[in-house]
Amino acid sequence: MDLRPVVALLFVTAACGGREAARPSDVAREEPRVFAGGVAPPAGAPQVDKNPFRGDRQSAAEGERTFGVMNCDGCHGGGAAGWVGPSLRDGRWRYGGSDGAIFQSVYYGRPHGMPAYGGLLPPGAVWKLVTYLQLLEPPANAPTQSWR
Amino acid sequence: MTRLTVLILLGALPVGGAAQRGDWPMPGKDFAATRYSDLSEITGANAGRLRPVWTFSTGVLGGHEGQPLVVENTMYVVTPYPNVLYAFDLTREGYPLKWKYRPAVDPNALGIACCDAVNRGAFYADGKIVYNLLDGHTVAVAAATGKELWKTRIADLAQGETTPVAPLVVKHRVIVGASGGEFGIHGWLKGLDLETGRLVWTAYNIGPDSEVLAKPGIFQPFYDRGAELALTTWPAEVWKNGGAPVWGWMSYDPALDLLYYGTGNPAPYNPEQRAGDNKWTASVLARRPDDGTLVWAYQFTPHDSWDYDAASEMILADLVVGGRPRKVLVHFDKNGFAYTLDRATGEVLVAQPFVDVNWAKRVDVATGRPVVDSTKLTGASRGNVKHVCPTLEGGKSPASPAAYSPRTRLFYLATNNMCMDYQATQATRIAGTPFIGANTPYHAGRGGYMGAFIAWDAGAGKKVWQTTEPYPVWSGALVTAGDVAFYGTLDGWFKAADARTGKVLWRFKVGSGVVGNPITYTGADGKQYVAVYVGIGGDWFLLAGDVRSDDPADVRAPADFVPDIARHTSQGGIVWIFAL
Repeated sequence: MDLRPVVALLFVTAACGGREAARPSDVAREEPRVFAGGVAPPAGAPQVDKNPFRGDRQSAAEGERTFGVMNCDGCHGGGAAGWVGPSLRDGRWRYGGSDGAIFQSVYYGRPHGMPAYGGLLPPGAVWKLVTYLQLLEPPANAPTQSWR
Repeated sequence: MTRLTVLILLGALPVGGAAQRGDWPMPGKDFAATRYSDLSEITGANAGRLRPVWTFSTGVLGGHEGQPLVVENTMYVVTPYPNVLYAFDLTREGYPLKWKYRPAVDPNALGIACCDAVNRGAFYADGKIVYNLLDGHTVAVAAATGKELWKTRIADLAQGETTPVAPLVVKHRVIVGASGGEFGIHGWLKGLDLETGRLVWTAYNIGPDSEVLAKPGIFQPFYDRGAELALTTWPAEVWKNGGAPVWGWMSYDPALDLLYYGTGNPAPYNPEQRAGDNKWTASVLARRPDDGTLVWAYQFTPHDSWDYDAASEMILADLVVGGRPRKVLVHFDKNGFAYTLDRATGEVLVAQPFVDVNWAKRVDVATGRPVVDSTKLTGASRGNVKHVCPTLEGGKSPASPAAYSPRTRLFYLATNNMCMDYQATQATRIAGTPFIGANTPYHAGRGGYMGAFIAWDAGAGKKVWQTTEPYPVWSGALVTAGDVAFYGTLDGWFKAADARTGKVLWRFKVGSGVVGNPITYTGADGKQYVAVYVGIGGDWFLLAGDVRSDDPADVRAPADFVPDIARHTSQGGIVWIFAL
């Protein structure tokens, strides 16, 4: 399935109702988050700890498209190799690398500027993003870099 | 006294301040943004004996752009996020702190700032240190005590606005702008009241004349006619997210009462989403500081298709051009051309490339427009456009301001010798997330070296000398009455060069790559000192992510075009002071 029409539709909906909903206290527990499109994730966290699509190439391909359409690459770089935001393909995670922790990072955002996408993307689309990231290969030279 | 005389007196002195000769009270040293000091103790004959006299770790690892200020034997240093302000007592041994100011800055700004959490410095005026916090606030702090006098919210993180720009204070107006050309902001300039921080005016860079503050009979661009230029050069509604951020340097001519600043790129990078010239992005604007009224504007890169921000400084000088003395404004654009403009009217007098340029054949000074090579036009339908020179980092980075010596009548600047491929893609605007739409890998330009420090004759439009460097050069320049020019390199050397020949007289390895701007001042002992921030970052945090060492959860491969930069440097914020 091509996610683009879905994402575009979600974005249009979001753009109409967005500003008023952008109250940090709605979902943030420790610190306020930025809400992508100004839309807070819906109340009531999905309590899923296992990625239902883990390892599924088709889901990863959809997740990769979402990574571009939702501007994730603008901060995390092409191929998620790191830009102003950290690399997501080095096998290391600031907020934990379990299925559920990566999902939480995307859905609810994180301090230091990772926007919450739960107001724009349904849980299934976020899980496909997680699937894409989990299938990326870490760079061959980590952790040692050497020069001659 | 005539109004003009009053203005000249105001311009000749730092506003209401007690700054002395030998101080460095504002980012560009003076309102003309020359970064020239008339101190002459350090000369070509003795610069080889420079030695470090003091260092200070700022405790912050972000890119240390900007510069310290020195006023009345106190040095003021602003760090990148979290924007700590330090005041050092230069009269005591070891330069202990008089105070430090640690504001609360919203950490979400880190994810909204496009290109590292930089700060480009503070401004001293009327006993106050005025600067911007990254999260969209301007603060004024008492220079004597460090006490916060006011704090004003100027920008909106939720819309992609952050505020690394250094303010300019003129006539009791604090002039500020916001970054966000990569987030689809609606770019603006604001004027605050120096005493209270109250917002006095807002002038948008794009949109209807009523918001751009372009008034009939007053606004007279040299090359354009008609009303609503910043609206009619855009598709309907698109201008509302059209960029035109303000993140570079400002200058001011007291005789003309004109404030000059450049605007950044149009958003998004995919030009097919915004047909038209997209005024006034990638432009210089001249405004009245009292109320923001627009007097003239000139667009360097119409319908910018290469992310050629015009945020670089506008240096004011009196030069002979074509045999006539002219009051000019000199600007080294990201697009690779050096422009010499009449600063009263915006007329282009000289426009010549200062690095290899292939997106345009030349600038037609009769029309003011570049003659674009159509094979270098970009857009989502054009696929990957190969080998565009210079890159979107600029023939010169706007973050690295040039200097002008009235003694040599030359401009000194750090340049980049790089080209790019440009693959534009459709971009979707989602507030608070990037709005870019291009993938643009870089490669070295002709000759294989990636940067140079050059001297430029802006009257003739000619390069006088150049010193090549293996890496792009990303520091500001300083030039003195001792005819010595100073700059730093990405691989962590700080250098002194003969301003007349370019010969490197002295160099010192300073611990991290230099993206800051050197200054010079007279110490409490009457000696001449040179100070500079070091700490690689800014775009170089993005491009060479392997110079990062502070985050175990962020390990990156080397950049393919600078695969060995991390061999020579790593992150680290340090203030250095040198003297004979």
